[in-house]
Amino acid sequence: MAYVRSPFVTNQNRPIEQPIEFDHRHHAGDEQIDCRYCHFSVEKSPSAGIPSTTVCMSCHAQVWNKSPYLTLVRQAYFTDQPIPWVRVHNLPDFVYFNHAIHVAKGVGCVTCHGRVDQMAAIEQYQPLTMQWCLDCHRNPKPNLRPQEFITSMTWQPPEKHEEAAQLADSLAEQYDVHSRTSCTTCHR
Amino acid sequence: MPPLKPKLDGAPMKDTPTSFALPVVSDKAEAAHDHDHNDVVGEALDHAAAHSVQSEGAYGKTYWRSLEEKLGQPEYLEETRPEFPVGADLAPTGVARREFMQLLGASLALAGATACSTRPVDERMIPYTRTPPEMVPGNPLHYASGMTFGGHTSGLLITAREGRPIKVEGNPQHPVNLGAAGPFEQAFLLSLYDPQRARVLRYRKEPRSLRTFGEDIGTVIARAAQENGGARVRFLTEPNASPVHGDLRARIQSRLPNAKFVTYTSVTQDPANEGTNAVFGTPATPVYDFTKANVVVSLDADFLESRPANLAYARAFARRRDPAEGSLNRLYVAEPRYSLTGGMADHRLRAKSQEVLAIAAAIASRVGGTAAGLGAAASAKAQLNAAHQKWVDAVAADLRGAAGRSLVVAGERQPAAVHALAAAINAALDNVGQTVRYVAPVVTENTQASGLRPLVEELNNGGVDVLVITSWNPVYSTPADLGLRKALSPENPNRNKVTVVYTSLFEDETSAYADWFIPAAHELEAWSDGRSADGTVTVVQPLIQPLYNGVPTSELLALFLGEPYRSSYQILRDFWRGRSAALADFETAWETWVSVGIVPDTASPAVTAAANPDAARAVVEAYTPPASGGLEVNFVTDYKVFDGQFANMSWLQELPDPISKITWDNAAYVSPATAEAEKLQPGDKVKLTTRTGSLEVPVWIIPGIADGVIVLPLGYGRTGLFETVAKEVGFNANLVRSVDAPWFEGGARLEKVKATHKFALTQSHWRTEGRPIALDMPVEQFRHEQELEKKNASPLLFRVRGDVEKANLMPDFKYEDYKWAMAIDLARCTGCAACVVACQSENNIPVVGKEQVSRSREMQWLRIDRYFSGQELHDPEMVMQPVACVHCEKAPCEYVCPVNATVHSDEGLNDMVYNRCVGTRYCSNNCPYKVRRFNYLHYTADKTPTQKMQMNPDVTVRNRGVMEKCTYCVQRIERVRIKARVEKRPIFEKELQTACQQTCPTEAIVFGTLSDPNAQVTKHHNDERAYKLLNELGTKPRTAHLIRLRNPNPALAAAKPAGGSHEGGH
Repeated sequence: MAYVRSPFVTNQNRPIEQPIEFDHRHHAGDEQIDCRYCHFSVEKSPSAGIPSTTVCMSCHAQVWNKSPYLTLVRQAYFTDQPIPWVRVHNLPDFVYFNHAIHVAKGVGCVTCHGRVDQMAAIEQYQPLTMQWCLDCHRNPKPNLRPQEFITSMTWQPPEKHEEAAQLADSLAEQYDVHSRTSCTTCHR
Repeated sequence: MPPLKPKLDGAPMKDTPTSFALPVVSDKAEAAHDHDHNDVVGEALDHAAAHSVQSEGAYGKTYWRSLEEKLGQPEYLEETRPEFPVGADLAPTGVARREFMQLLGASLALAGATACSTRPVDERMIPYTRTPPEMVPGNPLHYASGMTFGGHTSGLLITAREGRPIKVEGNPQHPVNLGAAGPFEQAFLLSLYDPQRARVLRYRKEPRSLRTFGEDIGTVIARAAQENGGARVRFLTEPNASPVHGDLRARIQSRLPNAKFVTYTSVTQDPANEGTNAVFGTPATPVYDFTKANVVVSLDADFLESRPANLAYARAFARRRDPAEGSLNRLYVAEPRYSLTGGMADHRLRAKSQEVLAIAAAIASRVGGTAAGLGAAASAKAQLNAAHQKWVDAVAADLRGAAGRSLVVAGERQPAAVHALAAAINAALDNVGQTVRYVAPVVTENTQASGLRPLVEELNNGGVDVLVITSWNPVYSTPADLGLRKALSPENPNRNKVTVVYTSLFEDETSAYADWFIPAAHELEAWSDGRSADGTVTVVQPLIQPLYNGVPTSELLALFLGEPYRSSYQILRDFWRGRSAALADFETAWETWVSVGIVPDTASPAVTAAANPDAARAVVEAYTPPASGGLEVNFVTDYKVFDGQFANMSWLQELPDPISKITWDNAAYVSPATAEAEKLQPGDKVKLTTRTGSLEVPVWIIPGIADGVIVLPLGYGRTGLFETVAKEVGFNANLVRSVDAPWFEGGARLEKVKATHKFALTQSHWRTEGRPIALDMPVEQFRHEQELEKKNASPLLFRVRGDVEKANLMPDFKYEDYKWAMAIDLARCTGCAACVVACQSENNIPVVGKEQVSRSREMQWLRIDRYFSGQELHDPEMVMQPVACVHCEKAPCEYVCPVNATVHSDEGLNDMVYNRCVGTRYCSNNCPYKVRRFNYLHYTADKTPTQKMQMNPDVTVRNRGVMEKCTYCVQRIERVRIKARVEKRPIFEKELQTACQQTCPTEAIVFGTLSDPNAQVTKHHNDERAYKLLNELGTKPRTAHLIRLRNPNPALAAAKPAGGSHEGGH
């Protein structure tokens, strides 16, 4: 069991090479671009959305528009060919994860995806095992944060235990957070 | 080469036990050695009462599903027959699995979910380069569109995911659909994604480009226009329901004034038009208002299921069957076979088709008034069967008592004289303007096969240069004696003078005789429009680019105009812009029409002419009765494949026929008495001879068919080269059908041949052991039982809904929030099976094929049980009961699963977790309702890329070895719940519908939460008619069924001896 739950098998901490060297350290870190600028459907759809090439070009038509790093992006845009990104977070087909509800209930991006702003190439931060999902579904409170910090990479709950618990309680009530563990919550 | 299909003849396959699934047919060979007397039907007639399965004492009424059950034949008894059909757990034999998969067309095959824990190498995510503005990846979009068949367009609402249409619903704003859809519409998607669709434009055997065809035909047409105004050009089209096609046609006609358009479709409204024309002086289409009719008489009219207006009619009719919505109506049906409408009747009269005229005439005479004259004239033509007298008297009296609140409906299979009589009776009863109004017909041209005779003659004489066929497969669908096949084949010495152009979705029977074959674009791939039964125009909008290079029909017709190319969108839009010159702002109007799906104020104008029944005497006098003597052969459109145009949709092929429950076949249906007279057993093959020809076809015995009648559904026996799902399924009725008598004729003969045929029926799968399952009773009896129930003295009602809260070791669940539940009203359900196909489409349910069905491995989560009831063997009543998982609160399946793969949710759902299931099938064994389905094989393997596109991405595609069942459409619940919770509000009742509920034309299925006291489902659960299936087991189902009430006419019920006894026991 130790083996099957090891990061080696769950594919954690393994940076994945992408067709284009997109660097989240620069975009999410240095430039402080909000996650939702590119992953625009995260609040209204099961899928957070892989940005279309137009989104890249909305900036890179102006900045770095001659950079050789972006040749492939421009090629993709002008030939109308999509960029085939490699999937990093891959759930089994019988699992139906929904971004919209997690974000609406106060689960931040960093909770599952880790410090994306420090990743040169995106890697899977959490194990994404059913055990890991259930830990939070049984007791979501420790992982809640205020809506205004939902995309923040650095927000931390108050250090004092009582304060953190108080905040968690009030957020759970405010956002009407349920502990949902029925099978069909995720398996349909 | 090994055979591609399970063997069609009766010989049992080599390693298949002879006794599987079909007690009667397959046991026969064996039994014949043991007994010298094996006459099912004869036995039935001799000993019906003595041998019948006794229902349990509390119940007093017998329900039975097949003759064998009714007669208590040994095959049906527990000692001799195991619960599961023998062979149900064997691997398939006789057919190599790969070949078997190839047969199944688009429906099979849905994406396999692999439960792999290791990382798949490099799964790619392909984003848009430019995301369309309306699109949010992961969320569905809905577009209004339509489906045209038989000259009418059904308004649809299509769900698309990331550009792929995945589900069809009725358009709620459409005046006929009202949000409902029938089985044909539900299966519409299959034809879009069907990998067997034609994809090559060809001239004879050479592939060509559309441009080459355009240039070639353009030259020919230009020369023809100059030389003789197209005198030698012919078009054979579907009835023109489309304004834009009508416009194209008019413009072709003005370029080629001497060209001729001929129209053909299988189900025509011609007799109705002729009949009403005689009465009103102008053709008129009746539009019925069933909500106002207290007494309805159907003269062989299957108005609850026959297109084009049935969806709206069924909804209005069903409202009058629910006592909670007002007084019940009363339905009388006279018909030759059991139709769905007949199954809803309070009093049904078995009559030959040719006797219906006499019945109509007798009713007209007795109703009197202005109809008396026409009735008398018709009575002179047709003698009323003395046995029908009592029924006719009662009906006429009831009609007279409900003048202005009654309705007489004539069926499209009946001649013009019957339609004239129906119009006359309605006029005499002052129903016009009350329960029926008349509007101008959508299609007025001659659309019958007889209209094709001049064309065939011209073809044979070499009088045609170019024949363009856009009508669906006329070589197959026209009666054999028309001779169209011969005229188009090389047998015709003048065949080389004509160039035949044919467009169709498939390479079919007609394409084999075409010179030019143009693959057609599916309706969901091109722009067009069409009209519904009441004339309302539907804009038919594409959802996807053509998958197989299909050419839209409007673009094809435009090639004959010699104009520069315009796309189907431009053609349609330009046409409507031209037509709407009066509109100030066409752009806004157009956008609205497209998004709503209908063009407002386009319903047909009313016909205001007063009825003059006596003017119709000519029509009645022109009526020639069919040949007497012999048997009467009846042709009917099939409930599953219509006239054959839906035959390649495997969802429909696998759908059990609503009445006979036969899948993947048709048969010559006869009544028990006819079978006895002809010494036939079910499954025997016979040679059916009519004056047109003869056909070897197996018989099947169905009670409720008129004696001396053979019923043969159209649409089977297809031989198209590439329609491999439809190929060689069933028997082609068109071979014995004639142009002059397309629906029924006398003088048919049956001759037994030495062969039997194996049918795959679902009717005897899963038994009921005589328990009260589907309940129906007359209103009076129900009131009586209710009185008894108050005194705790009704064993029946106690059994089905008494308090059975005995000691129950199982834990109680606490439900804090929603309590999902369903209610199914048997009084409304007609059994049309649209829900079954809707469920199959929504939930990615595979198709398994005939051999697997015969082993009881059908996968449909929702089944519709058809029960005959009553002691009367020949003329039983019928009840339909949809049964899916009832989501027990104390679910027997949950306790026995060793791996917790089926568990209870906090809202009362009985969750099925596919990824946990290891396939022990304990749950299915322990389920008293037999609603669980097991994937014995990997039914979803080997799918093509287009087939994968059709899958619902919200539902897991199940693998081999996994149990599955109705989930109450949990994917819909979760999607709506998340939307509501993101918006911080409760779920609204209106936004959540299960697939079966959404498509149901009669609103028989209701779904919602019992936690809301005002929800419809809560009202139904508290309804006086509500009961729970197998209540005595204490399973506490979340699905309630509502008892069906009948509203018999006291005069008739008392007069009928069988009626008195079979309702007895109280």
